[in-house]
Formats: sequence, structure tokens, C-alpha cells
Amino acid sequence: MKMRRASAAVAVVATGALLFSACSSPAADNEEPETEETTTESASVDPGEPCKPDLGITETADGEIKYSVGEDEFLGYNTLTPETYSTYNSAVTERMHTGFWYFGVDGTICRDETFGTYEAISEDPLQVQYTIADDAVWSDGTPITYADFLLEWATKAITADGTVTEDGSEDPLFNSVSGLTLGDYTPDGPQADSADAKSFQYDYETVYADWEIVIEAPLPAHVVAEQAGVSTEELVTAIQELDMEVLEPAAEFWSTGWLSSPGELPDPALVPSSGPYTFKEDGWVAGQSITLTANESYWGAPAATRELTFRFAAADTHVQALQNGDLNVIEPQATVDTVTQLEQLGEAVTVTTGQTLTWEHLDFNFNNGVFSDSLEAREAFAYCVPRQKIVDDLIKPIDDSAVVMNAREVFPFQTEKYDEVVAESYDGRYDEVDLDLAAEKFAAAGLEEGTEVRIGYSAPNPRRADQVSSIKASCDQVGFEVVDAGSPDFFDQDLPNGDYEVAMFAWAGSGQKASGQNIYATNQPQNYGGYSDEVVDEAWNTLASTADETVHLEQTKVIEKQLWDTLFGIPLYAHPGVGAFSSDLENVRDTAAQSGIVWSSEQWSRAS
Amino acid sequence: MLKFILRRLGISVLVLLLASVLIYWLVTISGDPLQDLRESNADNAAQLMQARIELMNLDQPWYQRYWAWLQGVAGCFTGSCDLGTNINGADVLALTSLAAGSTLRLVTLATLLAIVIGVALGILTAIRQYSGFDYAVTFLAFLFFSLPVFWAAVLLKEYGAIRFNDWIASGDMEPPMVLGIAVIAAILLPAVLGGTWRRRLYTGAGTFAFVAVVLYVLNILEWYRNPFFGLGMVLLTAGGAAVLTTGVVAGLGNRRVLYGALTTAVVGTVSYLVFAGLLLEPSSWWTLIGLFVLAVAVSIGVGAAWGGYARKQAMLVSAVTGVLTSLVVVFDILVANWSGFLQLKPRPISTIGSQTPNFTGDFWESVLDTGMQLLLPTVLLTLISVASYSRYTRSSMLETMNQDYVRTARSKGLSERAVITKHAFRNALIPITTIVAFDFASLIGGAVITERVFGWKGMGALFIDALNHVDPAPVMAFFLVTGVVAIVMNMLADIAYAFLDPRIRR
Repeated sequence: MKMRRASAAVAVVATGALLFSACSSPAADNEEPETEETTTESASVDPGEPCKPDLGITETADGEIKYSVGEDEFLGYNTLTPETYSTYNSAVTERMHTGFWYFGVDGTICRDETFGTYEAISEDPLQVQYTIADDAVWSDGTPITYADFLLEWATKAITADGTVTEDGSEDPLFNSVSGLTLGDYTPDGPQADSADAKSFQYDYETVYADWEIVIEAPLPAHVVAEQAGVSTEELVTAIQELDMEVLEPAAEFWSTGWLSSPGELPDPALVPSSGPYTFKEDGWVAGQSITLTANESYWGAPAATRELTFRFAAADTHVQALQNGDLNVIEPQATVDTVTQLEQLGEAVTVTTGQTLTWEHLDFNFNNGVFSDSLEAREAFAYCVPRQKIVDDLIKPIDDSAVVMNAREVFPFQTEKYDEVVAESYDGRYDEVDLDLAAEKFAAAGLEEGTEVRIGYSAPNPRRADQVSSIKASCDQVGFEVVDAGSPDFFDQDLPNGDYEVAMFAWAGSGQKASGQNIYATNQPQNYGGYSDEVVDEAWNTLASTADETVHLEQTKVIEKQLWDTLFGIPLYAHPGVGAFSSDLENVRDTAAQSGIVWSSEQWSRAS
Repeated sequence: MLKFILRRLGISVLVLLLASVLIYWLVTISGDPLQDLRESNADNAAQLMQARIELMNLDQPWYQRYWAWLQGVAGCFTGSCDLGTNINGADVLALTSLAAGSTLRLVTLATLLAIVIGVALGILTAIRQYSGFDYAVTFLAFLFFSLPVFWAAVLLKEYGAIRFNDWIASGDMEPPMVLGIAVIAAILLPAVLGGTWRRRLYTGAGTFAFVAVVLYVLNILEWYRNPFFGLGMVLLTAGGAAVLTTGVVAGLGNRRVLYGALTTAVVGTVSYLVFAGLLLEPSSWWTLIGLFVLAVAVSIGVGAAWGGYARKQAMLVSAVTGVLTSLVVVFDILVANWSGFLQLKPRPISTIGSQTPNFTGDFWESVLDTGMQLLLPTVLLTLISVASYSRYTRSSMLETMNQDYVRTARSKGLSERAVITKHAFRNALIPITTIVAFDFASLIGGAVITERVFGWKGMGALFIDALNHVDPAPVMAFFLVTGVVAIVMNMLADIAYAFLDPRIRR
């Protein structure tokens, strides 16, 4: 009897606890979510300039702004080695390294006039004249000169055998993530009168469409020279004369000397800054955070806030950290849950959502399978893929501005260019699902009822699983038998082996004009499906070998149209991005580019 | 005994070696270390893949890579440890020592608390079997045991950090909150103490009135933002600890032990005054550790001086009192530093990180900072482990309480206290030692989720990150540490057995 009464009591307590937790869990707050009070800005509809506006900042205000990219530890000053090259690391180093250009919010190449100017003095043959600003100096006072850029070229041009690369395929001397591409295009490298010249000229052997962005922010040559035991002038001579006795120790230091053990900041003399921020003394605590402080010697507009702290915290902790003030700016995972959570925080937090330069697509397998040689089969599939429904159901709840993407080389938020390209290349026939037409094409292709279509993707990925089930619901009505072929080793096994009919994955837009050649031209490394089309090949060749932007646009239209007509694949949407920050911050602006919301951090300031 | 230990050690090393082969192989087949590069659209992706293949020796079969790794580990015995490098080229040995340090800081306190609280709860529930208190603890134990850590952490952050920080900004306790806390205390205390309904009612009413008045007064004094404790309270608390320890261990009737403990409390409080300069601004942790050791030594001395016939017991009780008094002194110092700390960090509890970046406080303020950061994860880990400890202790206790020798002890007229502490509890501890040893070993490696949600970079993070990148070296380092800890803790458990159960020693 006693037992029974007691268990009844336990049951009551248990129910009470459940009720309690239901009422008090943050997801089901008693108060109505004050969505109307939340300021939700859409980054993509921001009418402003894509580049950083001049905000007239003249003084650095004391204070600290905390931001997190993710839980990954900072690896070192040199982000350009394959081991350190990541958005986590470059989020920090990009604050310390500036160059002639940067990506604007929509992927536009913005020129950084503070750093210097450049101009293509001839387009064919391509010759570019660069001039570094007279007052541009490293934070240790050494002027930024030709030597820094010559070293930058050397890291992307000199082979382990001590020669300038022939075709970019040799073993490089410097452990650079960029390989030897630059040396391939311009074997002579930059030319100038002296090591400390402020202007230099690049002569390209072949015209290269992406000439603007191959010249990146340089690392300090004078530090490398000193570590190799020579003067900067001697290093310059050594590079010009390919003197391996100097270059080997220089490359050794360049490749390894700037990598750090967690928590151990390098000697300040080794890591001068050319940007608005520099390392703060004792500012790195292993596994916790790294703090940058305003670079007093920066010649451009100073950082608006003195200290910028990057905390190493997992993305799923960011929302609460923002609420508690442990972080001031966050870029959480773009999921519906995150957006809802952020909106419930009310006025204290400003949320920005928008599209990014990463885009989702379905690619057909041209090597084998039902779609490989039948355009009609591909068309049948394209007519039944519910693109609008996928965007409405899965993407719109995160980002209102999301739309179905109808191009591959331009993005919907690059409005003008996008509209022009799409108008020329695509008539909107696959915008709406048309099951009748799909069935007609299905029959015309001579496919049998129940034709298996394996949609492969890298699992686990809940969103992609949802996408596959949407497609299945629609396309099975036509006669396809859609199979969810998501697997953890999709890229490792299924994709190279061709065990799929349709591949679903995303490309991260690189901002390069000619990078698509690797994907769409015949026998290129990233043309996984084995697509081949003469018109596309030729258009890419034309595009890649000119510096003329009108030609770029024209050829893009040709390529896009041909890709639609032959149905290389079906673009779906640009991935959504979410950023959020405490509303007392000013000038925080999200970007579609890979650099993330931190791209303009030197302008962040606290409203006083 | 030595032979037994050596044999077990030998077997353990063999098991460790075989397991390391298995784990290495499992890691290498767990995925594709080149995955991110295969998805990359960089021009020179092929070159980058080649670079990574060379870095990680992916062109060699797994057993060759394992052999190379094993040779590096074997170097540890000759003083040149090499645990390899991770996928970013960072030295794994350095990463592991950082991670292990971080995890140790995180789990040590939680483990100690869980053992103390869990064992205490287990004994109390065993003594009060089938009471309301027993049911409540049972219910909570199962609740906490089955808590999804991730969800609990989110709730803890919401209430323990965000809402607490909002509240401490004013530090004003509103009447409903005061009454609520008083009611909870008024329900809990009588339930633990037990007795007739009338007695419980009186205890409850008394507790309610006491708690409500204290909270109300503290509120008026704005104590939560500007707290003070004071020497008087230190003396009072230390004295209370002395009486309580004596009561549990020796019984208050044993005057020599009681006087020894009380003297320790007084000496402790007085030496707080004497060493105030050193204590308030210590130059380093070593100063504090030195003072602590001194305090324990003095306490044992005091116990020995008072002890007489009960010398051993008096020394033990005085030592425990000394430790407790030291804790009270530290508490007093921390309380005194609280308002200064609030000035530096208006929102005292962060949801992430093991410390505030760029914190500029003096020694005790920094202690408060790291302490506050330790609070939430420790609460979480403790809650989860307490559940199992209390259950095991309870059943183990109930079993021994039904043994013949306990009945014999009762029938020969021993006090209930002596029966429980000397006869039942000591025997009940034997199975618990095994669990504690194993639990500590698993906590070292097992706080994966807790570390992640609270932004600590410990062993768990090392393991998970490496596994995600199909990077064997850090996983193996993790395995080495946890494996060795498991072996060592097992040995300790065996030795503790021998200490607790004299039969094993023979």
C-alpha cells in the first residue's frame, strides 16, 4: 500500500517536472515571441555599396568586441600553407594583412586605394602596373615594397628544383596552398627598379581572366630575409637569380616558421601587420581566444574599436553566448532553429540574413546511367524537380530573400548581372513543376516505369535528405524511382566511381571568373559527371584568356545558355547565411563572400 | 601483492597494445581524410591532396603508419616522445598536454563533488529507505541520469548564466523569490531529517522562517552585490564544521576529539588573521598550497595533542576540520572580492570558455573568474555522476545493513552512528571504489559534449575533431591518455581495496 501511494506521488512529481520544463524551456517561452520588434535586416537587399564605405573613422575607441568563427584553434600568422588555410585562420590573419583588393558583400572585387592602386596598362598582352601607397608600412616601420610582392610571386612560382615553373605541376619550393599557378601565367614575375621600389609591373605570358585576384596580400619579405640570414636586397636578388642557397632557408621559414603552437604568440618582430589590427601581447590563450589590438602604425583609417577578440567556441553555443554578451557578433549555422532563437531575443540583437556565394545544385552523371546520353530523360527529370517548393519549404524560413537560382556563374543577389545573364540563357521552363510535360519527355526518352534514379550526396545532411524526399514525392509520379543514395563517403567512393545518376552538392563560389572551367569543360578535374560540350569548352577558353570584362559577360551568357539547353544539371539555390550582433554595435555588415561577417570588423564600433 | 600488481600491469599493457592496433585501424577506415579537398574547387586541389597524403603518409598501408606511430610512442620511454602531428601539422604531444590540463581542471572538482554528494545521498537514502526523501532522491537520480547533456546544458546556461546575470545586475531578490526558496528549504530539510509528522512540521516551519528572514535581511543589505562574511562567521562556520565532523566520525560524547576539532577551528581562524597579508595577495598558487599543507599539518598536530586514548580518531577529525576551515577561509576571501569582481565583469557567468579573455583582475578576482566559468559545467557533470554514485551507494549500503555483523553490532549496544559509519559504511565502500575509479577514467575522456557546449578545449574536443578529420594521431593520443588513466585508476582501486578490506592484504 505504501509503495503504491509513493509511486503515485512520484508520477505526480514527474508530470509536474515535465510541465515545468515545458513552460520554462527557452524554445517555448510563455511570452509571445516578439518578432515584430526584432530588427531583421536582409543583407542582400542592402542598397549600399558592395565595398567598405568611408565612415570617416579617425580615432580608435577603447573597448573590446568579441566574435567567434567556430571552435577551431588559431594556427599561425601564415594562412597560405595548406595546413593553415581555412576560414577560421584567415578570419584572424586577414585583419593583419591587407592588399590591393578585397571581396565586397556580393563578391565584387573592391580596390583598396589605401593600400595602393593598380591598372592594366595593356590587355593583350596583359600588363599590369601596381603602385603601393607611399605611406604603406609594416607595423615595425619597414615600408611595404616591391620585395614583399616579389616574395609573394616566388611562393607561387618557384619549384623545389630551383626553377620557375613550366606548367604549374611540379613540386613547389614553398608550401603554398595556391600551388604554382601564378608562375605559370607570369614566369617573369613582377619587375621593378629596386628592392625598395613602391611600384612594379606584372607582364603576363598568357592573358588571364582572374589577373586581379591572383595578386594577394603579401607577407613581409624583410622578416623572411632576416630569418634566411640575408638582407632584403639579397633576398630579392636571390629570387631573381634563383639562388637556392638563400631560397631554401627562406622557403623553410616561410612554410614552417609562422606556424604556432596553441597559445604561444610568435615573437612580435616576426609577425608585423599591414592591416588595421595586430596581435595583442599575451592575447592568445590556447583553446580559448585570441585578441587583436589596433595597429598603431596602420596608415589608413584606424580600427574603430581597440580590441577584437576571436573566441574558439562551437557554432551551436553562439546564440546563447550572444544573449549573455560573451560574444558580440556571431555567424551561427544557418538553420531555421537558429533564426527562430535569435528572433526571440528581441531588440537587443540585430539579425541579418541573406544569400551566400555557396550554391546548391543537382548534376547529372554523363559517364553512365539513364541520363548520360538522353537529353529527354534529363528534361523529364528537370520538369519534375520541385525547385520552388524546396526553396519555399527549406530555405525561405531562414532567409526571406531566398529565390530559386537560375544560373551557375552569377548569383541572384548580383542583381544586374544575374538578370541579364538569366534573361539571355534561360526561359523559365523549369520554374514550375510540370508533371505532364515530364511524363511526355519520360516516354519520349523511352524510359521504363520505375527507372531508378540514385541521388547521391554527402550524408548525414538533414537538409539534403529533405530535398531528396521532395524530389522523390514529385518525380516518382512521372515514373522515376528516386533513391536516396546519400552516404558518408560520397565524394570518396560514389562520385569518382559513378555510382549515382544525380549528384547533389554545393560549390563554394571562389570569386574567380574562370574557375568554372574546371567544372564544365571537357576532362577537367572537377567535371565529375564527365560532361562534354564543344560550345561550352570554346566559350570557356575565350573567357579564360581575356581580361576584357564585356567578353567575360558575353561568354558567361553563352555558357549558361548551353548548360541549360543541354542540361548539365539543375541549379537550386544559393545557401542562406545568418549573422547576428548586439544592437549596440554599429557598422556590422554581413557579406556573401567566404570571409564572413568579420570582413569589415575594423569598422565595428560601439554606440556611445 | 607486488607480484599480483605486476601481473595485472603486464596484462593491462598487453591489452592496451592490442586495443591501440584495433583503434588505429578503426580510425583509418572511419572515413576519408581528403574529403574537404575532394569537395574543394581550388585549381590545385590535386597538388593539395598530394601534400596532405605526404603529410599524413596516406600512401602507406595503415599498419606501416601504425608502426611508425608506435615507434614514436616507444620514444617516450627514452625521453623523446613523438606522438606525431595532426592534420594541420601541429605537434600532437603539445596539443594533448594542453587538452589534458584543461580536462583535468574541468573534471577534478566535478568528480570530487560527485563522490562526496553522491555517497552522502546514497547513505542518507539507505538509512531513510522508502521515505519521501528516498523517493525524491530516487526520482531525481533517474531524472539526472537520463538527462540529455546537451539539453541540460542549454537550460543551465539559460537559467544559471543568462537569467542569473540579468538578476545580479540589480541583485534585488523579490518577495516571491524569497518565499519560494524558503518553501523549498522548508520541504527539503524535514524530509532529510525525518521523524514524526509533528517534528517535521516544526522543523519545516522553523526552516521557513529562518531562511525567509535571512534572505530578506541580506536583500536589504544588498548583500548579493556587496557580500561580506566576516571573521565571526568564519569562526562560527569552522566551529560548526568541527562539531559536525566529530558528530559523524567519533560522536559528540568523545570530548577529546571534540576539543581537538574545536581547537583546530579556532587556531585556523586565528591564523587567518596572522597570515592575512599573504592570503589576501598571494604571489602564486604555491603560497596557497604551502599554507594549506601547513594548516593540515598543524591540525594533525592539534589532534595528536588532544587525542589521548582516541589519538588516531582525533587526528583524523582535526585534519578534516582543518581542511574545512581552510575552505571557509577561502570562501570568506572570495566573498570579500565579489563586488570588485562584479565591477570588472558585470555579467559574472559566461556561457562559454574557461576564462574571460583579457581579464585584468588581481589573484582572487582571477580565481573568481575561472571559478565562475567552472561553475556550470561542474554542476552539470556533478548532477550526472551523482545519480549513479547515490544509487550504487544506496544499494551497497542496504546490502551491508542487512548483514549479520551489522545486526551483531547493533545487538551489542553500539550507537547507530557507530554502526553506520564503522561497520556498514566502510564495507559498503568496497564496491563503490571500483565504480569511482572507472568513472574517473571515463570522465577524463568522456566529457565530450560538456566540453563542447561550454567551449572548453579538452580531451573530448581533441578526440572528436580528430575523428571528424579521420586523423589518427590525436585519436591515438587520446586513447593513450584515457587507457593509461584507466589502468592506473584500476591499480588504485585494487590498492584501495586492500586498505578497506584487510582480508585482501593477507
